[in-house]
Formats: sequence, structure tokens, C-alpha cells
Amino acid sequence: MWTDILEFFQKMGFMQMGADFMGVGWQQLVMLFVSFFLLYLAIKKQYEPLLLLPIAFGMLLTNLPGANMFHQELWSAFLDPSSPTYHSYGAILKEGGLLDVLYIGVKAGVYPCLIFIGVGAMTDFGPLIANPKSLLLGAAAQIGIFVTFLCANAMGFTEAEAGSIGIIGGADGPTSIFLTSKLAPHLLGPIAIAAYSYMALVPVIQPPIMRLLTTKEERAIKMKQLRAVSKTEKIIFPIMVSTIVALILPDAAPLIGCLMLGNLMKECGVVDRLSKTAQNELMNIVVIFLGLSVGATATGASFLNWQTLMILAMGIIAFGLGSGGGVLLAKLMNLFSKDKINPLIGSAGVSAVPMAARVSQQVGQEENPGNFLLMHAMGPNVAGVIGSAVAAGILLTMLG
Amino acid sequence: MTLLAINWPHVWFVTILGFALVLALLVVLIYVLKLFGVIMHPRVKVENPQEVHAAVGAPRKENSEHITLTGEATAAIAMALHLYYNGIHDEEPTQVTIKKVERKYSPWNSKLYGMNNLHRN
Repeated sequence: MWTDILEFFQKMGFMQMGADFMGVGWQQLVMLFVSFFLLYLAIKKQYEPLLLLPIAFGMLLTNLPGANMFHQELWSAFLDPSSPTYHSYGAILKEGGLLDVLYIGVKAGVYPCLIFIGVGAMTDFGPLIANPKSLLLGAAAQIGIFVTFLCANAMGFTEAEAGSIGIIGGADGPTSIFLTSKLAPHLLGPIAIAAYSYMALVPVIQPPIMRLLTTKEERAIKMKQLRAVSKTEKIIFPIMVSTIVALILPDAAPLIGCLMLGNLMKECGVVDRLSKTAQNELMNIVVIFLGLSVGATATGASFLNWQTLMILAMGIIAFGLGSGGGVLLAKLMNLFSKDKINPLIGSAGVSAVPMAARVSQQVGQEENPGNFLLMHAMGPNVAGVIGSAVAAGILLTMLG
Repeated sequence: MTLLAINWPHVWFVTILGFALVLALLVVLIYVLKLFGVIMHPRVKVENPQEVHAAVGAPRKENSEHITLTGEATAAIAMALHLYYNGIHDEEPTQVTIKKVERKYSPWNSKLYGMNNLHRN
């Protein structure tokens, strides 16, 4: 009986953490506190709670000693060509825990695409169709991705890692996860957390950059009302964009295809049940799976190192450059355009839908309370989603 | 030493070509969308408000497809429709919702038959 009791005590998480405290024990303890802090931010401060809460809880579960819910070593063997279990999902299913099984969806690139179906079903591309020039602002905002790619290389990251870090500048969580799971899966935890943290901090990060790069008069510019967009245009748009983008850049097809499929379901009006499911049930289920499994990758050993700090630092640079790039291009377009553009809508070219567009609206109204920029900003905002998915496809083609 | 080990020509190639490709692809989409807009010409045309003022007094064109709307007018119409269709308005339903509470006798609320009515000898 005493042996059983002793065995029970030895299996306790506290004992396991204490037994190897100087090894991985302290890292697990620190990560538990990090997860508590993120849970606090999600619940109390409501920073992207829908994603941050499952991510933080996944982080909590994976760092509980003895719980065996996620096995980093199994995934290291999965990626090692010399291992007998190289690219073997069977080994993961046989030996893995609950979070290992859920993580298969991330590794196979399924969750980000399913989320894009939901995003597409919730997006109105009308402002973009009405003002196609918005696409330029969406493209300019992607400069942060490529400049950060350059900087990350200079700081000693490999090209694949640098591409994954750069994509944070697209401010698009699913795209960041999709690309990182393909190019640098070992950095998935820090990159996903950086991407979602900065998306949540859009109202804090963007306004100072927007004010710095614009004059008071520019911020007060009133834009011409957008033309009406017919239903037929909205139905043909997703079919047309999917076809053109996939034919030019096949690697972007999974993301763009799913985004446009969701949008087509919404706009065609004949599959309301599917559209509502994509917007609600599907989206919510996948967000839970994605959040938990991404959080699970943030183990002490993979998270508590200098690389994570560098990724967080470069992520904010990428994000700032993207926001600034959009604003500056809008100013440049004003030099040649007859109809003036309010440069504030340029910062919405980073994805972060619809938060970035709302920030453009708020900053614009500070200068001119009668100015309504929201619909104008939605154009570059949804263009940013397309732009970051295209940038991910390009990086995947060149570095994958 | 690490910097020397980086394949800088390739890094610059990916940076410049990558961004150029994003820009080029989206520019292609702009032209496709513009062409698309021309083909699917919308029924409602929005005019410059200054031109509208200039046209006041001139004989009205009998063209049902030629509607002029300013941003403010559109916003006011949208708000009115929103209030109308969602039933959001200031009118009260004029129904008295506070009803008189009546305590009708029933064996179920009777003290005589209550569970707490202890039997005293």
C-alpha cells in the first residue's frame, strides 16, 4: 500500500516539476505564469479574447508536468528525415496526447484555411469592388513583411524562419500560422502569439504612426462616396479572384480559395445554412482547436529563449512598417489622383479586419467629426487580407 | 561572421521580387476589377454635389437611372430605413405592463396545508 502511495506522489506534477527544477522545471513554472498573464489579458483586458483565451489555456496545459498532452519530441522526430517516424502521422496518433492530435490540423495547414472560409463568409468585398485602387494600399502595407524578412536574415535567422517572422507584418493570424507551419514549424508558438498580440494592439500601435506621417489637413480629407455595387458583381468577384490568383500563384490557392469560397457562400444567397455555419459553428470550433494547439507549441524549451524576444521585437517592426507603408502610398497617390484619398485609410491595408479600419475611422473623426472613413477603410482592409495571403504564397514558393 | 554566411544575393532577390510580385498581382486585379466595373455598370450614379448645385433651375432630366445622392442624404435614408425596419423608434406601445398581483386561495398556497405547518398536539 505504501508503495502505491509513494508512486502516486511521484506521479504528481508538483513532484515532477521539483525533481528536475533546474532542468525544465523552472521553464515550465515560468510558462505557467506567462499563460496566467495571457489569460488575464484575454479575460480582464479583452485583448482578442476569442483566440488569446484558447491559446493561453493550451499553453497552460502543455506546460503541466506529467499531463502528457503535447509531446515536442514527437514533432521533432516528425520533422527529422533521419528519424523512423519522419512525416508519420500514424506515430503521432499512436503515441501522442490530445493536443498532439489537434495539432495535426495545424501541421497539415487545415485550420487556417477553414478559418479563412469563415472570414470570407463574414467579409463584404463591396468597398473594394467599388474602389479597386484600394488594392494598391493593401499591397503597400505588405512592405513590412519583406523589410522584416531582410532584417531577420541580418539577425541570423534562416531564410525560412525570416519569411515566417516577416509575415507577422501582414497582421493576419491564420496566414501567419499557415506559412509558419510550412516554413518554420518550430517557431509557431512565438510567431502566433506575436501575430495575435499585435492584432489586438492595433488601436495602440497604429494611431501614433498615422499621426506622425500625416498632417492635420490630410487627416481631415473627406472622400467621395463609393458607388453602389450590384449583387452580380459581388457574386462574380470571389470566383474571378480565386481563378486569377490561383492561376498566377498556385501556392496562394489554399488561402485565397477558402477565403473566396466563404465569401461566395455569403453573397450568392442560395446556401444560407452553409454561410451561417461557416460564420459561426465552423469558425468557433476551428478557433478552439487552433488556439489550443498553437498554445500547446509554446513549451518552456521552445519559448524561453532569445529567439522569442527577437521575434516579438521584429514582429512589431513589421507591423509598424506595414501600417506606415500604406499611409505613405496613400499620400503618394494623392499627388497623382484627382479624387483625394484620406491617407489614414492606408494603415488599414494591414489585414486585422475590421479593427484597422475602425482605427482609421476613429483617428479621422478626431480631426473632423463629420468624416466617415469606415467604408473607405474597409477597401484597403480586405485588400490587405488578399495581399497578405498572396505574400504568403510568394514566400512559400520562393522559400518552401 | 554570421552575416557573411548569409546568401545576401538570394535574400535581396526574395525581398525585391517578392514585394514586386505582390504589387504586380494586385495591380493586375485592379485593372480586372476596373474592367469588371465598366461591364457591370451600376444603375445608381453618384454626382459631385457642386455639379448638382449648378444644375438647380435647369430643366429636370427625365432619366430614372440618374439619381443624385450626397453622402449625408444616403446616411439619413439608411438611418431612417434602419429605424423603420428594426422597429427602433420613440413611440411607446401604450400597454400597461404592471398587472395587479392577485393572491387567489388554493390549497397549494394555504397555510393550513403547508409543509411547514407543524402538527401540534
